[in-house]
Amino acid sequence: MIRMVAVRLLLTLPILLGVSVVAFVLMRALPGDFAQASAGTSTISAEALDTIRRNLGLDLPVWRQYLRWLGATLSGDLGLSFTTRRPVATEIFPRLAVTAELTLIAGLMAGLMGVTTGLLSARLRGVAEWAVRGWNSLLLAVPNFVIATLIVLLFGLYFPSVGIFNYVAFARDPSGNIASLLLPALSLALTVSVTISENTRAAVLEVSSQDYVMVAKAKGLRPRAILRDYLVRNALTPVVTVTGLQLAALLGGSILIETIFTIPGMGQYLFDSIASRDYPAIQAIVLVAATIVLLMNVLVDIAYARVDARVSYE
Amino acid sequence: MPASMPACRMSDVARRPTRRPRTTAQVLVTVGLVMLAVLIAVALFGPSLAPYNPTRTSPASLDGPTLAHWLGTDSIGRDVLSRLIVGGRATLLITFVAVAIALAAGLILGLTSGYIGGAVDLVIMRALDVVFAFPVFLLAIAVVAALGPTLPNLILTIAVVYTPTMARVVRGPVLSVKRWDHVEAARSVGIGEFTIAVRHVLPLVISPVLVQTSLTLANTIFTVTALSFLGLGPPPPDPNWGSMLAEARQFMELAPLTVIGPSLAIVFASLTFIVLANGLRDVLDVAGR
Repeated sequence: MIRMVAVRLLLTLPILLGVSVVAFVLMRALPGDFAQASAGTSTISAEALDTIRRNLGLDLPVWRQYLRWLGATLSGDLGLSFTTRRPVATEIFPRLAVTAELTLIAGLMAGLMGVTTGLLSARLRGVAEWAVRGWNSLLLAVPNFVIATLIVLLFGLYFPSVGIFNYVAFARDPSGNIASLLLPALSLALTVSVTISENTRAAVLEVSSQDYVMVAKAKGLRPRAILRDYLVRNALTPVVTVTGLQLAALLGGSILIETIFTIPGMGQYLFDSIASRDYPAIQAIVLVAATIVLLMNVLVDIAYARVDARVSYE
Repeated sequence: MPASMPACRMSDVARRPTRRPRTTAQVLVTVGLVMLAVLIAVALFGPSLAPYNPTRTSPASLDGPTLAHWLGTDSIGRDVLSRLIVGGRATLLITFVAVAIALAAGLILGLTSGYIGGAVDLVIMRALDVVFAFPVFLLAIAVVAALGPTLPNLILTIAVVYTPTMARVVRGPVLSVKRWDHVEAARSVGIGEFTIAVRHVLPLVISPVLVQTSLTLANTIFTVTALSFLGLGPPPPDPNWGSMLAEARQFMELAPLTVIGPSLAIVFASLTFIVLANGLRDVLDVAGR
């Protein structure tokens, strides 16, 4: 077990390194001068620019700049924000917690909806199956930011008394905080639930064609018991992993949703950083998000191997 | 059709379920193609179809629907219907060109990787894994923000972001098809490896690629409109659905149609490709995702 975790993590290392290169190049590929952008103004003396350049190490060869940056990043130094002049690391983590909470609630909602509709379409035939298929196709066609905008419109028109831009910090009011995240999470969850639904359906159908289900049926077990003890239990393993793998979609989607509902998470931070051309922040957000997705994938693999003895990643 | 299907399955247990009958799938493909034709026709002939100049402002701002303006006007008095008709052009142009590039790159990389195998496979797939590690939308937004939202930048970014998906869909089946007997037979009569890969392996893996292309088109519609929604789309003043939706948000309680119009347009465009993908999956007998 420990060996497997180690192997999986080792395999992830080169990808992480590649991710860091992409994040580094992204910032160096900017139009114009990085030192100029860092100064935040175009009216600056040549000497001052030189000083900034030396301080940032921009006079070094590119590969040394990269190593220097990588070393700093590994020791938790993500650079200084261009706009606030504070360390990006201290800016990013409180926001990451907010996004993590939003993503978690959305993931739970998507799981609940997806498993329900997936089970329905696998167990019922005819009209119900078609209703679920149509519903899924429709959900797949409506982007989360459109859903969010329509939710805002709906509440603005018909329930103006319900405040929907009322984000409160968890520390101040836990239940109010969760309540304020429900609608944003719902707009994130709908699209993701489709993938979970289709995978649940496929998994249940796969399991129902297994011999042990036929045996259970033949010996006269009630359908409800078969569903509970055989189908759901065995079908849920792949479903859980799929839900885990949807994290990337949820993280990407939260950029839009946070902007629409004015939630102070990573997405809104990215949006603000782009608006103010705060490149160290953009770089850090991209890096942190990719790292989280990669680690989550490793976690999913390990969890999968834990529950399914046939899987090995040697 | 499915409602009238007799319950002819021997039992739920022994049968793998329900591939829909061919005819239904063909209906789906037909519907998808008709929707696609409408989209393309409106994009091509939009400027002559639109009743007004989509960028011309007028004092009649945020009017409700009238005979003169069927969907009303926006906050600076532009005709919403005209803007909707013309607003799909840039989105569709970016979508089609970007997905075409991603498809070509995916085919080349996936075929090379899967057919040659070994170290080549390892290097290509790990490189693609790097791109794959970034949430698609986050990478797109960061690259476009860094390079600037011009048409070529948007197209290239989106092409890069979707290439790994395409390459994976090609590579998977290539791995098994290359071991089939007809490949061995071709090799034994002296046909070159390149010809075998292109003429005898590629045609057999094209079905899942078509389905994935259709799904990627739908996803790209999302990505492009979402980027425009955040102000990172094709530059103004030409209208496009994403930025129309963003602009309309400020005044949406006063003029709901300015929000609902672009929303429906975006949904129609992505639904086109989803319907097409669903139909193609059944017609070509591709296993579910």
